[in-house]
Amino acid sequence: MRKRLLTLLVLGLILVPFAVSPAAAKTLKIGSMSPLTGPYAADGNDIKNGTLTALEIFEEEGGIPGFDKIELYPQDTACDPKQAVAAANKLLNLEVVGVIGAYCSSSTIPASETLAEEDIPMITPASTNEQVTERGLPYMFRMCGRDDDQSKVAVQFIKDSLNADSIFIVDDKTTYSQGLADGVEKECEKAGIEVLGRDHVNQGDKDFSALLTKAKSTGADVFYMSMQNHATGSLMTIQAKRLGLDAQILTQDANMHPNFIKVAKDAAEGVMVTFGYVDESTPEYKKYAKKFSAKYGEIGAYGTYAYDAATVLLKAIKESGSTDPEDIKAEIMKMDFQGASKMVKFRPNGDSGSNYIVFVIKNGEYVKYWDPAKGKL
Amino acid sequence: MEYFIQQLINGITLGGVYALIALGYTMVYGVIQLINFAHGEFFAAGGYMGVILLAYMTGAGYLETHPFLCIAGAVVLTMAYTAFLAMGVERMAYKPLRYASRLSLLVSALGMSIFLSNGLMLTQGVFDKPYPSELTHGGFDIGNITISYLQVIIVVFTGFLLVGLNLLVYKTRVGMAMRATAQDKIMSSLVSISSNRIIALTFAIGAGLAACAGMMTGFYYGSVRYDMGFVPGIKAFAAAVLGGIGNITGAMLGGAIIGLVEVFGAAYISGQYKDVFAFIIMIAVLYFKPTGIMGENVDDTRV
Repeated sequence: MRKRLLTLLVLGLILVPFAVSPAAAKTLKIGSMSPLTGPYAADGNDIKNGTLTALEIFEEEGGIPGFDKIELYPQDTACDPKQAVAAANKLLNLEVVGVIGAYCSSSTIPASETLAEEDIPMITPASTNEQVTERGLPYMFRMCGRDDDQSKVAVQFIKDSLNADSIFIVDDKTTYSQGLADGVEKECEKAGIEVLGRDHVNQGDKDFSALLTKAKSTGADVFYMSMQNHATGSLMTIQAKRLGLDAQILTQDANMHPNFIKVAKDAAEGVMVTFGYVDESTPEYKKYAKKFSAKYGEIGAYGTYAYDAATVLLKAIKESGSTDPEDIKAEIMKMDFQGASKMVKFRPNGDSGSNYIVFVIKNGEYVKYWDPAKGKL
Repeated sequence: MEYFIQQLINGITLGGVYALIALGYTMVYGVIQLINFAHGEFFAAGGYMGVILLAYMTGAGYLETHPFLCIAGAVVLTMAYTAFLAMGVERMAYKPLRYASRLSLLVSALGMSIFLSNGLMLTQGVFDKPYPSELTHGGFDIGNITISYLQVIIVVFTGFLLVGLNLLVYKTRVGMAMRATAQDKIMSSLVSISSNRIIALTFAIGAGLAACAGMMTGFYYGSVRYDMGFVPGIKAFAAAVLGGIGNITGAMLGGAIIGLVEVFGAAYISGQYKDVFAFIIMIAVLYFKPTGIMGENVDDTRV
């Protein structure tokens, strides 16, 4: 009898936490999707951390009425379409109200279709492929720029500022990098710049000596390097310098990362990069940067966009007072405010505009170099 | 012609690295008939150990004052460390399975590979770690052909290691013991050769060579990364099979062929198919000669 009582007592004690847990505690669940492992883990973690920074700042500034806390459920997509869809399904099961992500366009596209089945809003901080916002999905938004805008700016720069007549283009065969390289090739043909070669490398390749020797032998003025992975980009840059490739190296937003310079070191000097212009002097950027770097260290390129994307989502929920996708969308469409990365204003298709400019790497830093509207800076 | 020669040099350099890794596969296969899938990870571990030692030497200021001594020291220490690592792996993951089926051994090797590469990721992070490659910049031109000092160093050093290994296997008592163990473990233990010790030694030598390759690629490409062992590991495995697995000369030849095919494939056709060419060559050779190029004398000279 005593034994049985004891058992009952223990059982009761175990159940206590469930009984007294406050029923009123309401958590706002947000999902994030980015590659947290694998070759894109660096950018992927920046996205997660940027989103977390937005959540923290939002909670410090009073949170959202009706919710006790905001919780992030970060998912790893590994830049793999299958895993991205699985992550999207997991987030649906967790009943999140919105998703920040993904990174690779090839992940964002299938994942967004899964999320669309339940009408969950998705804001990508990094996927620049045109198709992301061109499929008529009502709750798909984009915080960063688009590849077609980026390739136009790149080619305009090649023509107007570099005065180059010929180009060699290489990509690493991802939806993003290849789409961008195709765009550059098309724009070059339009602009009368001769495309002397077009080649591809595989992801994970380390030896580019054959390809670079080929590029060198064509004598092209510009070497356009469209790499999704900045680690590959820095390796290619080192080898290009060693082989004595004289062409001007021009690359794209994915290579805007502190680690690109850290690895390529001297070889990175003079490399030019197209990237969305972020005004680092605004109070909004400073507020974000202070918080982010205090906790997560160096600011990677996509952390800022992820921060803005999460801010947009939370703001929309707060201001509409609802988690209904239609209300969130209506609120997002009304937005017009200075974010950390840019002036936030959305177009009907979900894009928020591009602001690509050209940076040059000088003394180990990315320095603004050329603006399509203003010319050389 | 200049283009061809330049690509030839690129190919030989790459082939040398593959050959060094392939030797580890082939030697281990020779003694215990195991495809050691964790071998690529020894290559990565070597690359990392090298960068850690060099970073330490840079911090202490020695690298600037005595660059050659430091690099030589780092190479020796890295090879020693990785050799011990490999012996540890053999002791933990393979020795308990000595009399188990070969499939269990293979699964254990795959598990070890995943364990090691994730261990590297967790301890060293996901970012590339830069090598102090400034030391080895520079090169010379012959006409339009650019040869970097590093390419010369890699090819010469690889050649030196290969000759050394051949001498070890064919001219020393230890080498004789290795060959004996490879031929017949029971018989060789009857003449008081400790097969366990010989197997551990084989792992150590193979891993030491892979570690050396890891450091050389670190210098050559400028950085190392936790997953760097996977692709070269597979290529080197292909090289070992191509040359005739179990055969040392075959592994060297296989490495050189895979390196050259890859580079010429990328040079004259397209960079995106270079892996395809490497494996097509392997399949083609195996189709006509299933034992690999040097595979006919598998029974008497394998190690």
